[in-house]
Order: sequence, then C-alpha cells, then structure tokens
Amino acid sequence: MEPTKKEKFISVIDEHKRIIYKIVNSYCPQREDRKDLEQEIVIQLWNAFDNYNPKYKFTTWMYRIALNTAISFYRKEKKWYQKNDFFNDESVFCLEDGNNVEALELSANVKLLQEFIQKLKELDKAIMLLYLEENSYEEIADILGVSTTNVGTKIGRIKVKIKKEFDKIKSHGR
Amino acid sequence: MEDKEIRELFAEYNDKLDSVLSLNKASIEKMKLNNTKKQTNKILILRSIEVVFFLMVMIVLGKFTADHWGVLHLAVSGIILYVFALIALIGSIGEVALAAQIDYAKPIIEIREKIEKINMHSLLFIKLAFLSAPVWWTYPIVALAYFFDFDIFPHLDAAFVHRYIIINALLLIPLIWFLKKLSYINMHIKWVRKTINILASANTKKAMEFLNDIEEFKK
Repeated sequence: MEPTKKEKFISVIDEHKRIIYKIVNSYCPQREDRKDLEQEIVIQLWNAFDNYNPKYKFTTWMYRIALNTAISFYRKEKKWYQKNDFFNDESVFCLEDGNNVEALELSANVKLLQEFIQKLKELDKAIMLLYLEENSYEEIADILGVSTTNVGTKIGRIKVKIKKEFDKIKSHGR
Repeated sequence: MEDKEIRELFAEYNDKLDSVLSLNKASIEKMKLNNTKKQTNKILILRSIEVVFFLMVMIVLGKFTADHWGVLHLAVSGIILYVFALIALIGSIGEVALAAQIDYAKPIIEIREKIEKINMHSLLFIKLAFLSAPVWWTYPIVALAYFFDFDIFPHLDAAFVHRYIIINALLLIPLIWFLKKLSYINMHIKWVRKTINILASANTKKAMEFLNDIEEFKK
C-alpha cells in the first residue's frame, strides 16, 4: 500500500532528525522553549511539504525552512510563526538518556564548541552549522542566498574566532 | 585548534546523537498538522487594513481638495496632506507585497531582509511625521475646515504666515538630509543610533540593527 502523506513526512523528518535537533539546540538557549521550536519547525515543514520542488536538493529546502523558523523564533518574532494552539506538551525528539541535551555524555571540547555556536550571531550560527554539517560552499551559499566567496570569507573569520576562544580557554586552564 | 579538529569534534557530536536520538512519532501524530495550514498571517491582515485606511483618507482628502479648489490655501493644504497619505499608502502596499512574498523555503538572507523591513515599518511614519513638520499648519487648516466648516487662514497674522513659510522652506533641505540618514545602513553612526533609540519602538530598532548585521554579513 502507498504510504500516506503524513507517513512520508514522518519518515523524512526521521531521516533528518539530527539536523533539526542541532538547529533547535543552537538557536534555543532555553531548554524549556526547545519543544516549541521543534514543533514549530515540524509545522512549517509540513505546511511547505506539498510545495517542495524535487528539482532542488531536499536538504537545501529543509535547511532553509528550519533555519528561517529558528531565526524568527530566536528573535521572538511571534507574528511570523504559527500559534501555539497546535502545540502539545511532548518533545518531537527524544534522547535515550532523557530529554536533556546537557545530559549527553560529550567531551568537554564538544560542549565548548556547542556553547560557542550558541553564542554566535544568528546568521553566523547558520553558516557554521551548515559548514560543520559538511555542506559545500556552493550549498551553503544557496541556502543562505549569498556568494560562495562570501561564505568562504565568513567561515574563515568564524574559525579564527573559534580558535581564539579555545586558545583562551586552554590558557585559563578550563 | 585546527579546522580538522573542529570537524572531528562535530563528528563526535553527530556520532553521539546518532546513537541516542530518536523521533517521537506519536508527538507528530498528535499535532493536528492539517489544521495549521489555515492559520492567517496577522501581518498581512494588519497591513491590508492600513491600505484600506489610507485609501479612505485619500478619498476624503481628494474630495476636500476638489470641493475647495477655488480657495488657494485650502486646496494647497488638501494637496499636501493628500501627498502624505499617498506616501503612506505606497509604503503600506509595499509592506503587503513583501508580506505576501514571505516563504521560508527561500534563501535565508532574502527572507530575513523582507521580514525585518516589514518589522521596521513604523520608521516610515516617524519620517512622515518629521517631514510634515514644516507644513504642520495644513493639519489644523484642513481639520477645522472639514469638521467645523471653519476657515482659520484669514484670521492669521500675515507677517507670521510669511515668516513661517520662509523659515520652514529653509528647514526643508536639512530635514530631508536628516531623514535620509535615518536608515539601517547608518546604524554605525552614533547620532543615528541614538535618534532611533529615542524615536523608534524597540522592535523597529531591533529590525534596523539586524538589517545592518545582514549588510555586514553580505560584505
């Protein structure tokens, strides 16, 4: 039997859950708000699902919607996203060790990298997430709507900042 | 910390997530997704109401000007206010057009610019208020004539009117320069930032700062 639209949608979200989860964690410093942003991204993806043009890469389409939603949410632009009436109390994503990303057993350096990404400005955060997700400069430029040269320059600058941040922490013996 | 090390850290994070992250399908099932599509965009409605309001104002002012065409000061006052209403109407139509183009599947910079330009909409009204300062007399003249059928102009002192017209005409150029400067691309200028802080709402200021960040980002 042919899967329904909802089944197809759920399978797509399942396939890309890691990306959405990381976007939510990077743009939502408050743990208690994360459920709302997860659901908001799912709703925006669902509403745009019928209009997805297979001519383009699925991840490009998904990144754009998830990041645009996350930035609006982060900037508390409530008028630009759906009302909470459709939200429920459950998280869209679950972690084996409970719904707490802080509880994940990650190395100190990974946690530092996460913290650093959270502290970046909205657009820098997007570019860094896309870069670390192994997207090419062309893909990042396409998702953001800037030139590849611009992407290269930005990534270079952010990496210098990360390096400095890590060096500073090392020298303080954290 | 080299690029390779940063990527390795992120790969470690990915590996960890792959082993512990799962999708709560029941949560999506519960979401009543089919109903969410019918949500109306509040901004689009608000701006459309604004368009209707300014259209009505223009109809009233157009009729006022036509009715008083033979009385120079009333006709001129009516035309001046008509032009202001027209600028506001064009601004609001532009906002409706921008709001209708908001599609999260489009490139992030393009969408953020459109959203923030809509968010800083109140700046247009601040500018219009300033621009109308040299011709503020048009407001009482038109209001009194329209609502009370009373023409105040013949009761004004002629010397005062002449002085007023000359001073305000001289003020016009610096005022236009000042208003041109009040733009998000000038947010790095201290006095522009301070003026925006005083005159604009927190949302307008936030939108202007973000548009300025976008400009920087594109460099």
